[in-house]
Amino acid sequence: MKIRAASDIGGTFTDLVYFEIDEASGQVRSIQAEKAHTTPPHFEEGVARVFEKANVALTDIQFFGHGTTVVINALTERKGVKTGLITTAGFRDVLEIARGNRPDFFNLRYKKPKPFIPRYLCKEVTERMTYKGEARTALVEADIDAAVAELKAEGVEAIAVSLLHAYANPAHEIAVLKRLEEIWPEVSVVASHQISREWREYERSNTAAVCAYVLPTTEKYLSKLETRLADEDFSGAFYVMQSNGGIDTVAATKRTPISIVESGPASGVLGAAALGEALGLKNIIAFDIGGTTAKCSLIDDGKVAVTSQYMIERSRTSAGYPIITPVVDIVEIGNGGGSIGWVDDHGKMHVGPQSAGALPGPVAYGKGGTQPTTTDANLMLRRINPSYFIGGEIEADMAAVEAAFAKLGAKLGLSAQEAARGVIRIANNNMTNALKLVSINRGYDPRDFTMIAFGGGGAMHAAALAAELNIPKVIIPAHSSVFSAWGMLMSDLRRDYIRTRPSKLDQEEATHIEASFAQMEAEALDAYQSEGIDAARVRTERALSIRYQGQEHSALVPVRKRNLMAGDIDEIIQDFKAAYEKEYTYRLDNAVEVVNYNVTAYADVDRPKLAVIDDTGDLDNALKGSRRVDFDTQGVATTAVYDRAKLGRGAEIKGPAILEEAGSTTVLFPSQRARVDDHGNLHIEI
Amino acid sequence: MAIGDEMFEAMARSSMSPIIYEVLDYSVGLTTKDGELIAQGNGTTVFLGMIDALVKEIIAKFGTADAIQDGDVFISNDPYFGTHLSDVAIAKPIFFEEQLVGFAVNKAHWVDVGGMVPGSFTPSSTEIYQEGLQIPTMKVMEGGRLLQSVLDLIAANIRLPRDSLGDFWAGVAANNVGAERLMKLYEKYGLDAMDAAMAGLLDYGEATIAAELKKLPKGVFEAEDWMDDDGHSDDPLRVCVKVEITEDRFTVDFTGSAPQALGPINHGRTALVAAVRTIFKALTNPQISSNGGCFRALEVICPERTIFTAERPAPVSTYWETMLYAEDLIWKAMSEHLPDRLTAGHLLSVCAFILSGSHPETGEDVILVTPLVGGWGAMANRDGLNGQFSVADGETYNIPVEIQEARYGVRIKQYAFHNEDGGEGKYRGGKGVYLDYEMLCDSASLGGSFGRFKFPPWGAAGGNTGSPNYVELIRKDTSSNVRELYGKPAQVKIQKGDIIRCVTATGGGWGNPHERAQADLENDIKNGFVTPEQAARYYHQEVAAE
Repeated sequence: MKIRAASDIGGTFTDLVYFEIDEASGQVRSIQAEKAHTTPPHFEEGVARVFEKANVALTDIQFFGHGTTVVINALTERKGVKTGLITTAGFRDVLEIARGNRPDFFNLRYKKPKPFIPRYLCKEVTERMTYKGEARTALVEADIDAAVAELKAEGVEAIAVSLLHAYANPAHEIAVLKRLEEIWPEVSVVASHQISREWREYERSNTAAVCAYVLPTTEKYLSKLETRLADEDFSGAFYVMQSNGGIDTVAATKRTPISIVESGPASGVLGAAALGEALGLKNIIAFDIGGTTAKCSLIDDGKVAVTSQYMIERSRTSAGYPIITPVVDIVEIGNGGGSIGWVDDHGKMHVGPQSAGALPGPVAYGKGGTQPTTTDANLMLRRINPSYFIGGEIEADMAAVEAAFAKLGAKLGLSAQEAARGVIRIANNNMTNALKLVSINRGYDPRDFTMIAFGGGGAMHAAALAAELNIPKVIIPAHSSVFSAWGMLMSDLRRDYIRTRPSKLDQEEATHIEASFAQMEAEALDAYQSEGIDAARVRTERALSIRYQGQEHSALVPVRKRNLMAGDIDEIIQDFKAAYEKEYTYRLDNAVEVVNYNVTAYADVDRPKLAVIDDTGDLDNALKGSRRVDFDTQGVATTAVYDRAKLGRGAEIKGPAILEEAGSTTVLFPSQRARVDDHGNLHIEI
Repeated sequence: MAIGDEMFEAMARSSMSPIIYEVLDYSVGLTTKDGELIAQGNGTTVFLGMIDALVKEIIAKFGTADAIQDGDVFISNDPYFGTHLSDVAIAKPIFFEEQLVGFAVNKAHWVDVGGMVPGSFTPSSTEIYQEGLQIPTMKVMEGGRLLQSVLDLIAANIRLPRDSLGDFWAGVAANNVGAERLMKLYEKYGLDAMDAAMAGLLDYGEATIAAELKKLPKGVFEAEDWMDDDGHSDDPLRVCVKVEITEDRFTVDFTGSAPQALGPINHGRTALVAAVRTIFKALTNPQISSNGGCFRALEVICPERTIFTAERPAPVSTYWETMLYAEDLIWKAMSEHLPDRLTAGHLLSVCAFILSGSHPETGEDVILVTPLVGGWGAMANRDGLNGQFSVADGETYNIPVEIQEARYGVRIKQYAFHNEDGGEGKYRGGKGVYLDYEMLCDSASLGGSFGRFKFPPWGAAGGNTGSPNYVELIRKDTSSNVRELYGKPAQVKIQKGDIIRCVTATGGGWGNPHERAQADLENDIKNGFVTPEQAARYYHQEVAAE
């Protein structure tokens, strides 16, 4: 027996999920989960302990996937190192000038985000590239030496290098890196071109700055974990979950750790894509409801949507910080199980974004919470079983819940029950808007998609939301509460290469375009091979960002052809026009131009096959009883309650019904039907 | 609000020319069938109040004859119901079950609308006819059919029609998205419920603002200031305001301000109302989404034909200078009374300029139009912001240096904070910038308007005034020792190799400079925001240089 394991380090708990794989059949024999306390600052101890608790020998582990919030925590808590910037003469203020925008534009006491590197640590070197990538002014080495002397004296531990037009030609950045290696090999360094080859100097400089800022911390963290695993004779492959929905090696992650900034959320989307692939579904809306937020992402034709327009700390009141690193395109809103329902001074009800958090938590926890949450509303409507709350761990304090809704309702002249319905309606409306943002607003018709819902609250709300959006089918995966970790175990290596290289898009350019792609693919292959990955496992995908001439915004067009020739260009232009129209609703007659080249390079990892569950026969074996459940506009109905774990393959359930499992509850509305597939996933027809 | 945001996004993603796509100088909104603003998406503050004014104009002109039909699209750049001719509004009536239920509107800055100079704004105009093609409020689509002759007429009268017609189609698309979403809501909730919801939304806006109004200091507050000149004579122009705040009214009176001017610093009454709305929102509740109900407590008084209430054919192309003074006067009158909400004076001017020439690589004509970032005023408890756009702009972005160089073929030598004197205080005014362009094409022309060239941003509570906005030309071949400085450059000829230095203001300081904490000043010197010499001169403190 071999083990594939994934661990995720959270603020409170270090989670472990692992498959036991039958070596003969390659099938998953079982999926297990374990938790241990997170052990800051020695996180590796928590990881070792969770394996110990699960009684898993590290020598049995073939594959170890790791998700971590170390990077995002270092950023949001400002716990990176003292960092310096080396940039082109005349441009040391690029980080602070930023883009000058003010999203909260009527607020005259607006606060501009403070740069991660203060002005006195931003140093200039004489050099200049043109936008065509030609060196106009040679790099002056003495300037680097002077900058280093000053940064050393200030005690910086990391340096970001970002020079103008390095996206077009990184030669000067490479020369700076070389010189730094010669005169100050101990300092951590990253240059902008190592992370991004897209234009826009502020965005690229900020990306390099935040990457350098977290580099020593992340490097130490991963090294300690490697050492700890080696101490226990771990000899499997160790991968880190990336923000782009793939995994990558530890060595690559240490070089540019900003690539794991959204390590956690990406894996759930990836799980949805992997499950879709196993079930033969190409169009999926992945939907995850946790304690404080709901997240959704769209998978079109089997492809996870990835964007490099990622921001941290961006809000209605702050411009935030751009980070150009490929991140799974997720829309996240402040609406989860713990989101609080409240009434403002002018009689309008809202839900979230404030959350009751882990403490005091929902009112039902009985830990002092008095403000009713979405979870409390679900209890109030008996969609959640008060006596099987959190898998029976806690007896829900229903007297307190009712009192809380009575108080909320009194502000609006509503009964407690009506107030609870109101909270669910508003929460659903907020989530519907988020789902529209990833679908309708981008030109997709929800009727063409299947929703895969997971996380603690996904199964509870999914059926109602799907009905609202005309999504015909919802799948609640087996083990939906540990689905994110499951996704990590089903992942391939993935690296995204994006280059800004503006040119016309016409037949004469075909050979140049092919040469650019071929060069990027060769680089990707070289990088994998240099790390000992067999070329036969590597596959690449091409795409172009194209726009109408004179316009900024582009559409991403997959390019399936290899060895592009003049005759292939027309098809690309037609694909662009269709993609553009889908997104922006109109076509133009203007000529078109290429902005960015995208190459995604995957390296396949052996994936396990899904196990087939038993047919347990009679539904009544799974029936736990019945209760009166409030379905809002569809009335209050006596509803059958099933134990999901006892439902075998092929089981069919008619709504209204409630399906309970340890970490989650599925709500089936009247007239909806559900079926359990061979692998234990629940398919709901809306 | 979500509908307004979505329209904004559709517009941002699909606009054609840089002034819109990187700088995002536009706004979108929805109104009721009567032209009451329901929602306005993020964009610029200056358009707040323009969306509903335009719809009311459409209703006045077409509503009575029952000439508003499903599938119509209206277009207008009438500046007396808006800003200047460059800002083109597109409106679409929305029908549900054959009844008019509302309008989707957007307004965007086109890079050129014809007239006497490329880019269409110049300090040298004296009448509206020189400032570009006037498009009175009219139909460009009727019953779903494009009126091609209208578009042809527009295209024939503007420079770079390819870019601007792209903007036009982006505007049409943005309205379609807004209309479609509103329709979906009507389909879901029905006519009566939606009408009630819209009325409720307006009342909600009114109630929220009324509650905030009660928290403001009551009484009469006054301010006066001076504008540089009208671009034709050198004489400064006086502007003034009297603000009266009671429990339930907010009245502003601009009586006594300068009469309509010869140069294009004028604007119409709609722009005045928009200006007052902006500052009113800042004083009450900046975060609530803007709708017509929010402004019911507001009253704006100003005689006819002042620079704030100009009438046709007064030129208006650099309207922002005056419009922002209207806001700034109220700001100045109130700042020391609301120190937790207001700063000292900021750069104020949009500092927009037009550089027209040719791309040295391709030889194509290019027009670079962009506003600039500068310093904001200090507050009672903190320094001013460095390098931000003026209050006129909101979700406005500077154009990256890398993109400017590629697209316009200019070379940018520096983009950095400067250390000109000004803005000293217990808390410092924020820093303005130097942005240096070297021209690489054989000849080019520069125009623009940098207000507060003669009268820098005001300090508060004993803080010093800031530094001025201006343009300096550093000629490649010159024997003169006299600096070539401009507040309102008009068709200034530029030769290859000349450097255009755009300079924006340092904001006003707050409090006596002598009270600045030693640690803050040391930090200033370490970061190069204050020189040791300035420390000695303005702060009377000796701080050792590093």
